[in-house]
Amino acid sequence: MAPRIQSQRVSNALLPYLTSSQSSSTSSISSTYPSSQLFSRQFSATAAPQTRLRRQMFQWLSTEGAALKHHIPGETNYLSGRADRDGDSNEAPRPFPGNRTFISEAVLSEELRNEVYVRVVEKKKSLRAVSVELGIDMKRIAAVVRLVEMERRQRAQGKPLALPYARAVHEMIPTTPLAQDGERQTFHEPINDLPAHPSTGAQIFYPVPESRSFTRVDAGRVFSGAPALEKAVADKISHPSDLVDDIIQNPNSIEWVGKGENARQVLQPADVRIPHPQLVKLELDRKAFPNERRAVAQRHAERVEKQEAAEQQRRERAHARREKSIQHVEPEGSRFDYRIQDAKFTKETTGADGRAPWAPGRRYGVPADDRKRGKVKIPTRVEA
Amino acid sequence: MTRKPLNKLFRRAVQCRDQSVVDRLHDRGHPNKKIRQSWSKYNLYNLQRFRTPATANRTFFQQKWSAKAASRAYHGEQVREGQWKRMFSKRIRSVIPMNTTDLAADDGSKESSGRGSGLSSESSGGRSRSRLIPYTQMAFAPLERRLDVAIFRSLFASSTRQARQFVIHGAVTVNGQKMRHPSYLLNPGDLFQVDPDRVMYATGAPKTAFERRETRQLKQKSDAEGEAEGEEAEAKAEATEKDEKENTRDSLRALMSQAKTIMSTDKDVLPAKRKQELRGFQKAVRRVLSRSDTSTVLTDSLEAQFSELTLLLKAKRVEKKPAKESKKDVKEEAAPAATTKSEEAASGALSEAFQAAAEGGEVDTSELTEEEFDILKRALTQMRDNPIDHSKPYATPWRPRDYMSAFAFIPRYLEVNQNICAAVYLRHPVARPGSAEVPTPFGESISTPAYGWYLKRRW
Repeated sequence: MAPRIQSQRVSNALLPYLTSSQSSSTSSISSTYPSSQLFSRQFSATAAPQTRLRRQMFQWLSTEGAALKHHIPGETNYLSGRADRDGDSNEAPRPFPGNRTFISEAVLSEELRNEVYVRVVEKKKSLRAVSVELGIDMKRIAAVVRLVEMERRQRAQGKPLALPYARAVHEMIPTTPLAQDGERQTFHEPINDLPAHPSTGAQIFYPVPESRSFTRVDAGRVFSGAPALEKAVADKISHPSDLVDDIIQNPNSIEWVGKGENARQVLQPADVRIPHPQLVKLELDRKAFPNERRAVAQRHAERVEKQEAAEQQRRERAHARREKSIQHVEPEGSRFDYRIQDAKFTKETTGADGRAPWAPGRRYGVPADDRKRGKVKIPTRVEA
Repeated sequence: MTRKPLNKLFRRAVQCRDQSVVDRLHDRGHPNKKIRQSWSKYNLYNLQRFRTPATANRTFFQQKWSAKAASRAYHGEQVREGQWKRMFSKRIRSVIPMNTTDLAADDGSKESSGRGSGLSSESSGGRSRSRLIPYTQMAFAPLERRLDVAIFRSLFASSTRQARQFVIHGAVTVNGQKMRHPSYLLNPGDLFQVDPDRVMYATGAPKTAFERRETRQLKQKSDAEGEAEGEEAEAKAEATEKDEKENTRDSLRALMSQAKTIMSTDKDVLPAKRKQELRGFQKAVRRVLSRSDTSTVLTDSLEAQFSELTLLLKAKRVEKKPAKESKKDVKEEAAPAATTKSEEAASGALSEAFQAAAEGGEVDTSELTEEEFDILKRALTQMRDNPIDHSKPYATPWRPRDYMSAFAFIPRYLEVNQNICAAVYLRHPVARPGSAEVPTPFGESISTPAYGWYLKRRW
């Protein structure tokens, strides 16, 4: 029988909510088990009840591992963190001792989550603005709004919530707190992440005269195999972020190169591809007009507004186009809404002979292959 | 060699079809080396004692083989090898966090000047600072898209196997629709939700034998109650009459003392004892509230309960300022030593107040300080949010299971709301300079050969 490792004392974890405000230490479990059991077996004829490994495991769990059993509210309690807890405590928390590259990153605290919701839904600020203010990725902000909305709905409906669990988890992992009045908000994560484009993976040797200035715009063209810009056009671009406005207003204005399947858009400079391109413009303006703070801020606000308007317009246009091709039919007294879309008979939609497997509808003489071996019928997406 | 406990576990696993028991069995059956996606103590021990396999005197093939074996035991152990091979992609997503100040300062011509890498070594000081991107740590990134793995990563289940069971048993929805395929690959923006009761069960401490027996008894009792309802009602009526006779002062004293013991951070109190206290407090609150005319108070919101309670007990708040200040002094004295001390001081003041109230005789004079009100309020909150409920499949009041904290982390590609046990899969995991988002216990000396193993053209 394995030695039962039981803390004689109870920890604060029993009352997760109450402990959160007190943050008292809990981990004084002083149960070094007497190992007499291990040596008293010499004259026993019975087979050993456990292997050496198991014995070692319980030994470890009762000594070094004992501290991992219960958490200390507000602190991480990882395997690797314990050794250097006494040393430098400002090191990033790493849950796996063997993996230095994985960091347990902070999650949004409850207050910060609610603040995001308030700013977006009640104060009607745009996702982009809130993202810049709080240093949270735009996708995360959208998700937070969705989740908080859902939480409020469930609370109103009186559905069961996992509150003690939520409190315990937030005690165990690092969280980004909401700044108090007068404090500066700590940014949650980097918001201007540039995804590495696959075409930049190639190593290209491209000879350029030393006298010529070779910018990010030129590098993008080289990576995508486009010819160099003509001098007249290139001279107009004083900084790569000059391209931002045109592309935001009309994303289709990006040039294409290649033919057929190889056709691709010219790779744009990082200034265009980051999620918040307007911030580069803002920096440029700040540097150019260090004394006109207010004017710079105003210009930035105008640019952001213009960008949002363009995006909104584009979304609406796409929605209208989609709606135009769909016919809604709601029969009287029915709870269904039929959406009927005309099938387009082109080579792409139905194949060269009009009987391609991906063509819409049942086709006479073409057996359905949904019962064939190896056909995966697990859905690939769920409509929200 | 007999293994009695193992057999017992086997029986339980078969009987209750409980994945966590099966997991334990699995870990106990193979106590050697393998690290799994699980929170068990066996796994914790294996994680702790794992060492990178030696490379000396081993062929490159052997090195890759053992690296692959170790990492596959953790990543997608529930996925067949062929299935995983089809999922594997050699392309790895990565991002570079851009600094807008740097972008504004230079249009790229400075960095490409000279022979293509900047004019002087000093100007590229930022370059040398930048860390490498650990690409091969992302070798198993496609598996993180799976629904069962994502549930485990959001801390909704104690192992991937258990998460898988939740999905199969229909406790998981994706975008509001029930999803029964653990291998469903989440798309960016998908919202998945697990039944909160299952999550509490998966992450909470298990019941002890004593609690299980109480559950059984509760069940038997409720079965028997259906038969003999009339007798019970009479007994209850008598009890309520007695209660009405009770002095309000006594009930106030009892209530507050119970609240105080619940709130105390004393570690010497055994769980059973603490539970008794909690239950007593619960009863006392019920008793007091049942006296009120409005019958909805018990089911009403906490604020209503609290105000009703204070009204019934005719308790008043202290409005004298000096008293408050003295409280603050007490707090300030205790703060440097430990927070527990201030709590003790508070409870000491509380008992004094009660003594005064009891001696005074008049209930109306019982004045409670802010702190005492706070304690009472918190005890009430605790009672509502984390009650003793033997009908639940986990130990109540809920507390995290042992060793959970050693495994608790949430990767950035998920946004989790623990209150409703829902999460959004924001985007695919990415690597960035110095860190990779795929949680893996292995270093690059294992993930690199494992990545090489799965390339079409192996190296």
